[in-house]
Amino acid sequence: MATTVAAGVHGNGAIASSKSVNSLRKLSHLSSLQFPTQLRSFTIRNQTFKSKPTLHLVEAKQQTLSSFVDVLENSDRPVLVDFFATWCGPCQFMVPILEQVSALMKDKIQILKIDTEENHSIADKYRIEALPTFILFKDGKPCDRFEGAMAAEKLIQRIETSLKVEQ
Amino acid sequence: MKALQASTSYNVGFGISAAAPPPRPSRHRHVILAQVEPTEKSVEIMRKFSEQYARRSGTYFCVEKGVTSVVIKGLAEHKDTLGAPLCPCRHYDDKYAEAQQGFWNCPCVPMRER
Repeated sequence: MATTVAAGVHGNGAIASSKSVNSLRKLSHLSSLQFPTQLRSFTIRNQTFKSKPTLHLVEAKQQTLSSFVDVLENSDRPVLVDFFATWCGPCQFMVPILEQVSALMKDKIQILKIDTEENHSIADKYRIEALPTFILFKDGKPCDRFEGAMAAEKLIQRIETSLKVEQ
Repeated sequence: MKALQASTSYNVGFGISAAAPPPRPSRHRHVILAQVEPTEKSVEIMRKFSEQYARRSGTYFCVEKGVTSVVIKGLAEHKDTLGAPLCPCRHYDDKYAEAQQGFWNCPCVPMRER
């Protein structure tokens, strides 16, 4: 059920990542991330999380539809999902912007990136067409959806507006 | 470059003439190492195609040349695998069918109509 993991998965479920922010941007290192059924203690980017993880910015490959839905429903914050493709220029343009927004809004949202080439069924389910497409999920349900690359300020504005509307 | 722009709100940058040197990935842009790289030949073909299209349509490549480079590589990759430069900025149910159908082959219909 779970996806395969990025470099350095240990037997006890801990994910050790020595990625710096810069190497995170190298797509060859942005491989799969595992979502074990029971998330115990694991490390991501030199930060250790206990029990309920607060994942900072996560890219997941080869997720099953059910594990993806699991992540959305069990998240303690709204989840912004970025549907992207490797050779989509605007999607790559958004990589550092999403890092920035993720850091600025880490208490408010979790950002999850889905490679549409690796997760075809998930992309199909949400009828993704243009890339990048962003869907904001609250309590596991889509509450906003928009397409296209944009500056960090604009993205933050859009997210905050959507979150306000929900309340 | 408008032809290489996906149907997104991403803005095209200005500033280079058609005679400018080929786009190189910006040093400030992160490196992209995908599982499959397009052939050099296809990349060259798509680069020339893109420059020619920009010249003829009076449009320009993105000011961030790394972005242009990614898109050109995406077009090349599709040309290699599908036989046609399908737009790399979209998700498709059946890429082969789409490449045969042609609507999203670069220069795609929506861009030509802009």
